[in-house]
Amino acid sequence: MEIGLRLAVSLAQIAAVMGVVMLTVMVLTLAERKVLGWMQDRMGPMEVGPYGVLQPIADGLKLFFKEDIIPAGANKFMFTLAPILALVPAMIGFAVIPFGPSMTIELFGMQIKPFVISDINIGILYILAFASIGAYGIILGGWSSNSKYSLLGGLRSAAQVISYELNVGLAIVGVILLSGSLSLVKITEAQAGGFWNWFVIAMPFPQIFAFVVYVISSVAETNRVPFDLPEAESELVAGFFTEYSGMRFAFFFIAEYANMILVSCVAAALFLGGWNAPYPGTILGHLGLDALAWIENVVWFAAKVYFFLFLFFWLRATLPRLRYDQLMRFGWKVMLPIALGNIVLTAIAAYFFPR
Amino acid sequence: MQPLLERLMTTFPDAVRGVEVDTARNEITARVAAARIVDVARWLHDTPEASFDHITDICSVDYPNDPERFEVVYQLLSLAHRRRIRLKARVTEEAPQIASVTGIWKGAEFMEREVYDLMGITFVGHPDLRRILLPDDYEEGHPLRKDFPAEGRGWRSSFPFIPRLDEAPEEQTEGEVPEQEKQAYLVAEHQGGTRRREELLLNMGPQHPSTHGVLRVVLELDGERIVKATPDLGYLHRGVEKLAEGLHYMQVIPHTDRLDYVCAMTNNYAYVRAVEKLLDITVPERAEYVRTIVAEMQRIIGHLFWLGTQALDIGAMTVFFWTFREREVLLDMFEKLCGARLTLNYYRIGGVDSDFTPDLVVRLKAFLQTFPEKVNEYNQLLMSNRIWVGRTKDIAVISAEDAINFGLTGPTLRGSGVDYDVRKYEPYGVYDKVEWEVPVGKRGDTYDRYWVRMEEMRQSARIIAQCLDQMPEGPIMADVPHVIPPPKAKVMRDMESLIHHFIIFTQGFKPPKGETYCGTEAPKGELGFFIVSDGSPRPYRLKIRAPSFIHMGAFDHMARGYLISDIITIFGTYDIVMGECDR
Repeated sequence: MEIGLRLAVSLAQIAAVMGVVMLTVMVLTLAERKVLGWMQDRMGPMEVGPYGVLQPIADGLKLFFKEDIIPAGANKFMFTLAPILALVPAMIGFAVIPFGPSMTIELFGMQIKPFVISDINIGILYILAFASIGAYGIILGGWSSNSKYSLLGGLRSAAQVISYELNVGLAIVGVILLSGSLSLVKITEAQAGGFWNWFVIAMPFPQIFAFVVYVISSVAETNRVPFDLPEAESELVAGFFTEYSGMRFAFFFIAEYANMILVSCVAAALFLGGWNAPYPGTILGHLGLDALAWIENVVWFAAKVYFFLFLFFWLRATLPRLRYDQLMRFGWKVMLPIALGNIVLTAIAAYFFPR
Repeated sequence: MQPLLERLMTTFPDAVRGVEVDTARNEITARVAAARIVDVARWLHDTPEASFDHITDICSVDYPNDPERFEVVYQLLSLAHRRRIRLKARVTEEAPQIASVTGIWKGAEFMEREVYDLMGITFVGHPDLRRILLPDDYEEGHPLRKDFPAEGRGWRSSFPFIPRLDEAPEEQTEGEVPEQEKQAYLVAEHQGGTRRREELLLNMGPQHPSTHGVLRVVLELDGERIVKATPDLGYLHRGVEKLAEGLHYMQVIPHTDRLDYVCAMTNNYAYVRAVEKLLDITVPERAEYVRTIVAEMQRIIGHLFWLGTQALDIGAMTVFFWTFREREVLLDMFEKLCGARLTLNYYRIGGVDSDFTPDLVVRLKAFLQTFPEKVNEYNQLLMSNRIWVGRTKDIAVISAEDAINFGLTGPTLRGSGVDYDVRKYEPYGVYDKVEWEVPVGKRGDTYDRYWVRMEEMRQSARIIAQCLDQMPEGPIMADVPHVIPPPKAKVMRDMESLIHHFIIFTQGFKPPKGETYCGTEAPKGELGFFIVSDGSPRPYRLKIRAPSFIHMGAFDHMARGYLISDIITIFGTYDIVMGECDR
């Protein structure tokens, strides 16, 4: 009985998180086009609904009704598997993200944490592990399409993901050293009490370099401009998903945006204090409305995430694409040494000035 | 010039059959025996007094009634001495072959392939003599021969290769391309021989987001590195040169709009200039100013288009929208001027179609005031961007010697440091009455060509501003009644004018017998028209020297050793337009 209830509550939580993520993806597709339009002196989508706000729905319907084509000579099983392999890891990562304060509430005699689906103690490793699986989706998609453009896109992606995931992992190590935990909940809690406690600037050793490395690497990991080589439109048509159509294409598309949200969430949680407000406590808490303080926390978390998402759009409007060799050189010769140096310095600082 | 010709005659007494100097048009033609063409060409290229280092064009003319039926025409240019010469050699119908000059000018490769394709003259010693504009399996002959019918060949069903709508489509069987067909796109042999050969043939285009139309390139890849790049042209071949042979001189103007459809005005200009040179017409001064202003507006439009697309190809999206914002302003002015925005058909033989209104002058001046600022804005977005610099510096480098040898012109040549600009070398319009400079690059890489074009936009703005200040009042059409119809207003009221109008528009005008080549500086390079007139109202032969086509000849040379991503940069840096390339 209790297991059944627990399962029901977890499923409800998962449904809520998935719903929010999918909704955010929808908003993002529109927001990206509107933000780009604004930066490029144009209107963006204007036809569907007032100011084009219904455009994501129209896009979704279109993709849903498109013919699903499997090219001749493609490996059907792999071809079908790849979009799923890309989408599922992107979604699954949200299980350990704390969206709000870590409080527990009593429900049917059970202790439930409403703002995190599962507070496992290796949260960050879990995310990294699943992010790597997402790369398989891209590589398999590229390989199984039986197209040279897809293959080249897949190969580029393999090289890129390996190089930049390393940097993501190393950039995070500094934060882990300071907080002493791999759980995202613990890491976020360690940054409470004002913006000077956020790891990006917190003493004894500010993680500002790690933060920059993380942000750049995560842009590369999500295949966004200026690191969008796997799908470089002007070179490889659409890269690894050249041969995909209809819902399978939509899967890759959603996976990309979900990944953007995921890395933004992780960045917010690791470096910018997660759901903590930039001042001690919460305003609602100080006013004596402790029961509603979580609203303020959730809003702060969302604001940080949207700041990162805006950054993604901004980069896209500003920067040209890197070339393959430049990308690799940048990853291995610039980012990696910075990340490694940061670990060494952080370790020394953490040893002499324990928090 | 005279001493050089005498030396040529004495050096090759048996090879040079005659020299004609056309003083009125300032053109020199040497008739050469076909068997000795390479010797003469090499002498003209190597001798310091001659140094005809730049091959402008190779074309062919068909005279079915002559004993030696085909004439191969070489247009040469000496950059050092700023003069041109035309070599002509005749071959017979039974043995239509002549030695190839690809050993002297590498740029001759594509030009000779075109002659082979369209006229059926074989070039002995050519490294890769295949059809270039028409498909490889085209079996109906060589279209530019006079016995090839100019009319349509019937309706859809008479073309066996077009799928019929009432028949089931042929089932596509999957499978690899036969090894034999791949051979044309592979490097002949790899050096060393010990290296394991694992090439990947990548077909790029004609359906590809960034091939600027319907260009097809087959790349031999080693990883992502290019071993050989073979352009495959002709997907947009319309046979404009053949079409022109059936049209009156003034009916050709709208066809030139469709050559380089991004810069229709300069095409018009190049064509009407060639016809005027043939007819020996002087254009009124105001018309010259209007023509120059419009041509420079078109140059700005062309360069804005180039900048937007090149940046978009490299991934900088925003520049594209910003450049189109300014382009729109200029297109609106074109619309005001002649009613059209893209295919403008504005220039007329002997003048222009309509005059600048005072309102338009004000608008253009207002545009010029803000334009340099806008150019700086694009520059800020790109020049200071390390990724942009990294993507363009040292990419697709071509040395000045190679660039000349390939016959490149325009910004593509000037990026390598050669200051060849037709507007300075052979001034036309009012370019000699205004102050401006020719920007040249140093290293011949994509970045330098980018810089040259950016600077050219500023110079164009400078030219327009000066022209607007200097522009005199007066007529905009020359007064040459046997060529130019009377103004439309008169035609409606006056019987003589109506008859005059009727005669010119039904019968055309008859230029004197002769031939002329006239090059004009288009935004992409030297756009030349070579017209052979037999005294009839239609051109006997009209050859278009399209810069895009000739630039594609250097594509393999510039692409080898770079990465796939750089191919896109090279497309961009050529600023190719397939309408002009394939004609």
